Amino acid sequence: MVDATLAAIAQPAQTDPEAAHRARRQPLARRRYALEIRQHMGWRRQALILAAALLAGLAISAAILVAAGVPADELANEFVMQTFFDGQNFRAVLFQAAPMILVGLAGSLAFRARFWNLGLEGQMVWGAIGATAVSMWQVGPEPLRLPLMFAAAIGCGLLWVLGPAWLKIRLGVNEIISTLMLNYMAANFLLHLVYGSWKDPKDNFPYSPQFRAFERLPELGAGVSSAILLAAVVALLAWWLVGVSRAGLYLRFVDASPRVAHANGVPVRRTIYGAVLLSGAMAGLAGFAVASGQEGRLTQAFYQGYGFSGILIAFLARNNPLAATVVALLVAALFVTGRSLQVFYQVPFSMVQLIQAIIVVCVASSDFFIRHRVRRVGGEQAQ
Amino acid sequence: MSGSIVLNWLASTPDFAVPYALAALGLIISERAGVLSLGAEGLMLVGALAGIGAQIVLGQPGVSLVLAMLAASAVSLLFAVMVIWLRVNQVIAGLALVFFCQGFTALVGSLAEWTNHATEGIGSMALWPLSLLPGVGRLFEQNAMVWLTLPIFVAVAWFFSRTSAGLRLRAVGENPQAADAAGIRVTTWRLAAVLAGSALVGLAGAYISVVSTKLWIAGMTGGRGWIAVGLVIFARWSPWKALVGALLFGCIEALIPQLAAAGVQLPQYFVMMTPYAVTLGVMVWVALARRGGDDEPGALGQPYVREERR
Repeated sequence: MVDATLAAIAQPAQTDPEAAHRARRQPLARRRYALEIRQHMGWRRQALILAAALLAGLAISAAILVAAGVPADELANEFVMQTFFDGQNFRAVLFQAAPMILVGLAGSLAFRARFWNLGLEGQMVWGAIGATAVSMWQVGPEPLRLPLMFAAAIGCGLLWVLGPAWLKIRLGVNEIISTLMLNYMAANFLLHLVYGSWKDPKDNFPYSPQFRAFERLPELGAGVSSAILLAAVVALLAWWLVGVSRAGLYLRFVDASPRVAHANGVPVRRTIYGAVLLSGAMAGLAGFAVASGQEGRLTQAFYQGYGFSGILIAFLARNNPLAATVVALLVAALFVTGRSLQVFYQVPFSMVQLIQAIIVVCVASSDFFIRHRVRRVGGEQAQ
Repeated sequence: MSGSIVLNWLASTPDFAVPYALAALGLIISERAGVLSLGAEGLMLVGALAGIGAQIVLGQPGVSLVLAMLAASAVSLLFAVMVIWLRVNQVIAGLALVFFCQGFTALVGSLAEWTNHATEGIGSMALWPLSLLPGVGRLFEQNAMVWLTLPIFVAVAWFFSRTSAGLRLRAVGENPQAADAAGIRVTTWRLAAVLAGSALVGLAGAYISVVSTKLWIAGMTGGRGWIAVGLVIFARWSPWKALVGALLFGCIEALIPQLAAAGVQLPQYFVMMTPYAVTLGVMVWVALARRGGDDEPGALGQPYVREERR
């Protein structure tokens, strides 16, 4: 085995023409290829590769949908025309986008600090629970109710991520597992509430009593909820924080190399804590956007994979807040389309998850061609 | 608690422990080769769906379990291509795999109308002569898969500690550069480890659907794959410790229905939190108890490309 490897390594060194001829006539499977790390690729070619990956992902998804029984022409109509060019559906996309943007921003902020916050869903659940608690217990006077719910959602989301952050920074506990376990615990606690003491006494369905009008995020007009405005403001703040502020610079240092950052006097721990806690706060806010902006009560709306979507949005956006906003809009469009496909063609809603995963796989795989160059060695090199 | 409850509890423990044990063992195989396999939750779902599908169509439990292993291996090939050749971040690739499998299994399950379709599982097999013991004899009446799990563990543990192939696999996970220099084919070993490990994870999923519950529901693994990932960290990548951990989790899960049967009133959803809370507790305990030596494979989660200098 060692000999074979040595021979393979030695192959490029062959210089005599006969050996070169032999190498050229090697069967395809025997030819050797080498990977090289590409130092840099122009942004145009990068964008081209990215677009190709996105298209490939959408094409594969479309093929699966057609195989699942959706007529091909209906599919194009449903996704492109109905979703983006129909006023009502476009409003539905904006409606769906608010929590998506917030949870996507939450993901990208934590990942910038090299913290795999997979607990976004749990933090969303707690954000919604916090906001609902303020409504249930009628904390504060009516005009202050909405700001109080807002603050409670932020606080609860933040507290739910504090534990894993502390465990990771102090004890080195793997945050992937700890945040995931906290997701399942938060989900069960939510069920405990909506099937238990918080159940709406009116109709005995597993959700909390409806919020009063002043506890709901108001409408901006033309059927657009102010939740999207809230998300846009948070996105701008996140962009400022990450791109302009000193903390953002620190974050970039920590992301590149915590050790070097520390040696340069960057307060590494404080930066990581700050990013992770803000991530939890934003996820809590996403829960608030679902509860107060969409549902108007505490429901089980979180079982649609918001948390995972947030992670994938952050990944696709390369943790860039403005890009995350755009990607979140697209994912929201996917959700809206998915829901109508579910109604009209009995395609399960999990199809949306499948499509997201396929797109992520395609984009992640396309990174390979941005970062590497494949070069043939052996045969031709020996000429 | 009376004696019979304790006995019922212990007798039902293996049924709950087997999925954890098999999934954790599969993860250990792949992680020992340096591939962090976060996709376990998804692969378990694939195994569960393929198993129940084969069971509904063919009705042969043995064949169903084997087909489930093959199906999980086949799906993990996608993951393997991503992380071994395309060098995609293993966390992202694992998450995408879970997402993919959740969507895919729910889609196929509902299109094929396998959801909530009850099947015949496999019967129990008494381990003679131990099953004749008075009282505790019942502990030795388990289904064939429970008994099969033990030889699987012996085989894998023996493979790791006693064979040169096992040594090579561990070398690839510990230091791929050195392994490569010693003539070990890193990509081949990693691919083999991912496929073999995923087969066991798929078997764990199929155990849940074919043997335990005997039906399919979308998302039925309910986080057991993630718990198995935590279990591997708890076990410090050692098969036998993983078996002990799986038994511990099996004990805890088996206790819940026993307590309910005994009329103990517990808040249902808090009880359902316990496996996750215990996983979290175990992770903290491991972190606190860790001294000096770290058993984590040195190159866990790191892609390997020969031409790159680190």
